Amino acid sequence: MSLRLQIGRAGAMLVLAVAALVTGSQAQVLNSGASTITLQAVLSDSLTVSLSGNAVNFTLTPGSANNPGSLGVSATTAWALKPSVGSVKVYAFLASSAAALTDGAGNNIPSADFEISNNAGPFTALTTTVPFGGPNAGLLLSNTRILGNNRSGSHTDLMNFNINLTTLPSLPATTYTGTLTIQAQAI
Amino acid sequence: MNTGKVSRITAIALGLALATTMASAQALNSGAQTIALNATLAESLTLSLSANAVNFTLAAGSAANAGSTNITATTTWVLKPGRTSVGVYAYFANAGAALTDGTNNIPSSAFFISDNAGPSTPLNSTVAFGAANGGMPLGTVAITGLNKSASRTDIMAFNINLSGGTLPQLPASVYTGTLNIQAQATP
Repeated sequence: MSLRLQIGRAGAMLVLAVAALVTGSQAQVLNSGASTITLQAVLSDSLTVSLSGNAVNFTLTPGSANNPGSLGVSATTAWALKPSVGSVKVYAFLASSAAALTDGAGNNIPSADFEISNNAGPFTALTTTVPFGGPNAGLLLSNTRILGNNRSGSHTDLMNFNINLTTLPSLPATTYTGTLTIQAQAI
Repeated sequence: MNTGKVSRITAIALGLALATTMASAQALNSGAQTIALNATLAESLTLSLSANAVNFTLAAGSAANAGSTNITATTTWVLKPGRTSVGVYAYFANAGAALTDGTNNIPSSAFFISDNAGPSTPLNSTVAFGAANGGMPLGTVAITGLNKSASRTDIMAFNINLSGGTLPQLPASVYTGTLNIQAQATP
């Protein structure tokens, strides 16, 4: 082999080697460092009560057991609760058991004579001590057990009202006013 | 693991357990929704009679001419605070002519009522209604806190006394008249 041929062959091999080297370096992946994003989604617990009406009137008949309210009121309780909550209870209550309604002049209708029929159940006087309101002036309307499938849910209590005056036959003629409160508690 | 590390881990675990317990026991209350209650007991005063007619068979000059029947007046009331009295009255529109045939008269002073088996009394007083000297109070009820809603019954027995004055000379005829019974609550 001539010297020229040998040099030409060596040059060709060198060109191939460089080409291979360049090709190899282009295929290699270059990764950056991993940067993280912290994700936080908060579903706040909530408990609300809304009422279909905020006023009920009564036309009283002295000594009568039946003095119904002018309309029923629906209480819709809605909640989104933490896993630790076991129940949602809805209460109706008055601030004072002795004067659920009053004329302001010492003539009172006690909570024992104020009755609620909840969801067509029996009329029940507000004589229980509940977490809110005056002692012996409340009524548990409903108790919803919270399970895995109703941590976010709602409940409706349809209340009808009555004032029983059989124990108040001498109630004087006048206008009696009061405030009934509906409140829910998740615990 | 040394004792100190174990103690720290135990303390942290206890703290977490306590925090979890406290979180689960905390009640979540809804807002309080109110219903205004308005009960009206209207004032009333009514009087009803067991009958509306009494006949007399008169004997000339006789002091005792009893009515054919007794009549019961039932007065029922529901009163506002401040009322102190309910009076029930019997009266005629004209004291000189309680009964008349159009020409000849029997005065109210000759017409007697025995109320609730009490003494027979002529209608010669001036009362809240009717003519001067043409009535009599049947009864007065003091109103207290115990009887603002109550009732009263008056059983009236009637008599016409024809023995006085010129009445022994009363001509034979048919004498008619209207006795009124009415109640009043004061003030």
